[in-house]
Amino acid sequence: MGHMKQTQTDLLQGTLDLLVLKTLQSGPTHGWDIAQRIQQVSQDVLRVGQGSLYPALHRLEAQGWIASEWGASENNRKAKYYKLTAAGRKQLSAETETWRRFTGAVELILKTS
Amino acid sequence: MAILKKLRLRLRALFFKSEMEDELQAELRFHLEREIEENITRGMTPEEARFAALRSFGGIERVMEESRDERGIRLLEELWQDLRYGARMLRKQPGFTSIAALTLALGIGANTAIFSIVNAVLLRPLPYPESDRLMFLSERSRQTESLSVSWSNYLDWRVRQSSFERIGVYRYDSYNLTGGGEPERLQVGQVSADLFAALRVDAALGRVFTDDEDRPGVAPVVVLSQGLWRRRFGGDPHILDRTITLNDRSFTVIGVMPAGFQFPNRVELWVPAGQLSGGDWRNRDNHPGLSGVARLKNGVTIEQARADMDAIALGLEKEYPRTNRDIRVTITPLLETMVSDARRALWTLFAATGLVLLIACANVANLLLARASVRQREMAVRAAMGASRVRLARQLLTESVTLALLGGGPGLLLARWGVNAMVAIGARSLPRASEIRLDGRTLAFTAAASILTGVLFGLAPAWRAGRVALQQSLKEAGHSLAAGGQRTRGALIIVKTALALMLLIGAGLLLRSFYRLNMVNPGFAYDHLLSFSLSLPAGKYASPEQRSDFYSDLIRKLSALPGAQSVGLASGLPFGASSWRTRFVVDGRPAPPPGEEPLLEALLVSPDYFRTMGIPLRAGRYLTEQDDRRHLAGHDLSGLDEGARMAAGVNAIIIDEEFARRYWPNENAVGKLIRLTPVDPGSPALTVVGVVGRVKMERLSAESNRAQAYFSYLQLPFSNITAVIKSQLEPAQMIAAARRQIQVIDPHQPIYNIRTLEQVRAASIAPERLNLTLLGLFATLALILAAIGLYGVTAYSVSQRAHEIGVRMSLGAQRRDVFKLIVQQALRLTLIGVAIGLAGAFALTRVMRTLLFEVSAADPVTFAVIPLLIAVVALFACWIPARRATKVDPIIALKSE
Repeated sequence: MGHMKQTQTDLLQGTLDLLVLKTLQSGPTHGWDIAQRIQQVSQDVLRVGQGSLYPALHRLEAQGWIASEWGASENNRKAKYYKLTAAGRKQLSAETETWRRFTGAVELILKTS
Repeated sequence: MAILKKLRLRLRALFFKSEMEDELQAELRFHLEREIEENITRGMTPEEARFAALRSFGGIERVMEESRDERGIRLLEELWQDLRYGARMLRKQPGFTSIAALTLALGIGANTAIFSIVNAVLLRPLPYPESDRLMFLSERSRQTESLSVSWSNYLDWRVRQSSFERIGVYRYDSYNLTGGGEPERLQVGQVSADLFAALRVDAALGRVFTDDEDRPGVAPVVVLSQGLWRRRFGGDPHILDRTITLNDRSFTVIGVMPAGFQFPNRVELWVPAGQLSGGDWRNRDNHPGLSGVARLKNGVTIEQARADMDAIALGLEKEYPRTNRDIRVTITPLLETMVSDARRALWTLFAATGLVLLIACANVANLLLARASVRQREMAVRAAMGASRVRLARQLLTESVTLALLGGGPGLLLARWGVNAMVAIGARSLPRASEIRLDGRTLAFTAAASILTGVLFGLAPAWRAGRVALQQSLKEAGHSLAAGGQRTRGALIIVKTALALMLLIGAGLLLRSFYRLNMVNPGFAYDHLLSFSLSLPAGKYASPEQRSDFYSDLIRKLSALPGAQSVGLASGLPFGASSWRTRFVVDGRPAPPPGEEPLLEALLVSPDYFRTMGIPLRAGRYLTEQDDRRHLAGHDLSGLDEGARMAAGVNAIIIDEEFARRYWPNENAVGKLIRLTPVDPGSPALTVVGVVGRVKMERLSAESNRAQAYFSYLQLPFSNITAVIKSQLEPAQMIAAARRQIQVIDPHQPIYNIRTLEQVRAASIAPERLNLTLLGLFATLALILAAIGLYGVTAYSVSQRAHEIGVRMSLGAQRRDVFKLIVQQALRLTLIGVAIGLAGAFALTRVMRTLLFEVSAADPVTFAVIPLLIAVVALFACWIPARRATKVDPIIALKSE
């Protein structure tokens, strides 16, 4: 039943995972902040919907790449903070590498025509 | 680490679901509120801000759902679901569940019980630090495989060896404890100071012996066991430096050992062996019953230690050729020495319980298979709704493992009860019996056995459930699968029959051995005989005359008891292994080289001993009151050492028929002369005055080749004596009266080892009885389970084949034919099982050979009778269902399809 949907989201998930891991590289923060930063750094090109952000965060946590902890937010409210684990750091560099090779290859093809 | 973290996360997801849910909600709420604030700072009104935030969020429920899914808890959740579902199914069928659980409980319980004994006796290390380095030392010569250690040799070992940290020696004795309560006879360990050091055990209170206390001529000291200290002295904390009276001498208590310390076995007191070494222990050829225990140095192997000790023994042989000819040292691991007798029997019993469990598994698998065909429709529906084959199999496996665990619980209780019973029966015949208990390892074993069992008997139904899932049509599921199930069930019957046959043959062989053992003529009568022992303290009864006066008085008093027919005294009884061994030469024949003279084993007895014990006279005469010390008049024995004094003390000897046959094959032995070693030409030779029947001295099953002899107790009145009373009354009724008579002679004299000769005999075959009882029990259990299984399968097959039977009958088949059809099918399975089982038994029972007595491991009688027994039981098991088949009404049977 769920096969078609899974392959579709796999690609998107992969990209989103990379973005989340990258964002967390600069320090622990909460979900809302992650979405804001991706949007700001990409100069509003990339917008992450909550509908995919939170499942992604939980998936990454279940895989052990990020860990969570409750803490006080900048305006002193209880918020769930995520941080990169050692395994997550490894995963980040592996995915970054893959992404570079992928975009590099696409770039090569686009140049030839 | 990462895996652990993940697992924790998943378990939390599974078991703290609502907490996780709350957190998720809080997290999303925070996001929403943050979004609203942000919108307000951008200039929206609060309502606009809220609306925009909600819109961009797009369905909180959906986000929550998807976040949950990402947790990857599906597998665990499904397991939980299966468990609950399985439990519900089992609850819904209490009859099936309790029969299956009970069957499994019997199998698992038997396994756990035997495992806990195997574990405690064979697997667990001895209760001393680094006990694998502890070795047992004894000596041997070319003639005797096992000699006890000579004290002088031991002293030299200690100085010369380099393989051991410490070597200690010990031997058993028993002392009278008097003063402050009933006089008591206690087991004493006479041990060298190094024994405790070798074992690395220290006193719980006070201290153990020092080297200075471990030599002759110093003040006597004693160390108490924890048990004796509590029982006799009320756990008195001020016991140290107090004196207690043992054998009428004062001993200063210097220590109390920790609870559980029992070395050597069942000892309650320890005294320094070195204090006894002043006299004849200095003779190097005296091996006074000592055994050695030594701790290997770290890194030294047993082979290196053997080489070391062999070199020392060779050196001693060169230095002392007269006493140490061919004397060598035997080194075996201490654990091995303690348990080697029990090893074969325990593994056999463990294997037997394993077979019982397999049969139980096969029975439950059969039940599940029968039930699975009822549940075919349920499975088919679930398969149609998208459950995968693996998923269905997993569900059924979860169910069967749950069932097995339900059996494991009561199984554990059964095992606890069984272990207590076995320890009670086998306490004397099992080594390390006091260490047997259910521990963590046993619990782990039970859990593992239960789960494994569950998987094992669940496999067949699960595999079939998987196949059902492949069946596309719900309707077709019926017939084709029933046939397949029939095949599996048939195979299970064959396996069960084969296993039960193997067990029964094993038990049958033991039964035949036991019967043979009971038929062995011990050479004496044991009915209506009561025996007890007493030991005269050396201080009070110093001279031989004092002792023989006591014994004469004792015989008189005991003979006067109402019901007493005759009374005998002896220095020891058969099966007690307390005979006295000495070397001798036949007068007038060339003497063999020193140390190679033949051995005899002797008892010192009173004239009436033979009549009391029913030992027949073959030639000559029994001993009489005239065989006393008068022949010594004029001899001065004071200059002789102890051995020579003994040799000079006797002049009459009674020998057994084997002795007579061996040394005077075609002559009358009566009137012949022998001399005991060391031969003293000045003292009189011994005259053979009579020849009596041979007696089994060690055990019923052991054939010793030693020549047996009897001396008169009047000539050598030892201080330890056992009295035997033949009575018309039940022997047990004599005890109180006998005790009163002894109190009259000496109120401070305890008696011990009060037993009937029937009990002595029973104790001598207790290990064989225990093996037979247990294996017999397991084999019976196996037979019952196999019979129940066959009954169940036949009954099920009759109900399944009602239609076919109906057709046959309407086509003219007689009831007799139908009956034959059903019985034939069941018997065919049984016979295949019997054939396989016979082959298996033939291969397996050979490992039992050492447990058997005068019965071959391939005993034709057993191998013929047991298959017959199985066939008869099988016939009965399928009788009732076959009868039912003949009652099938063809019309109803045909209509019902």
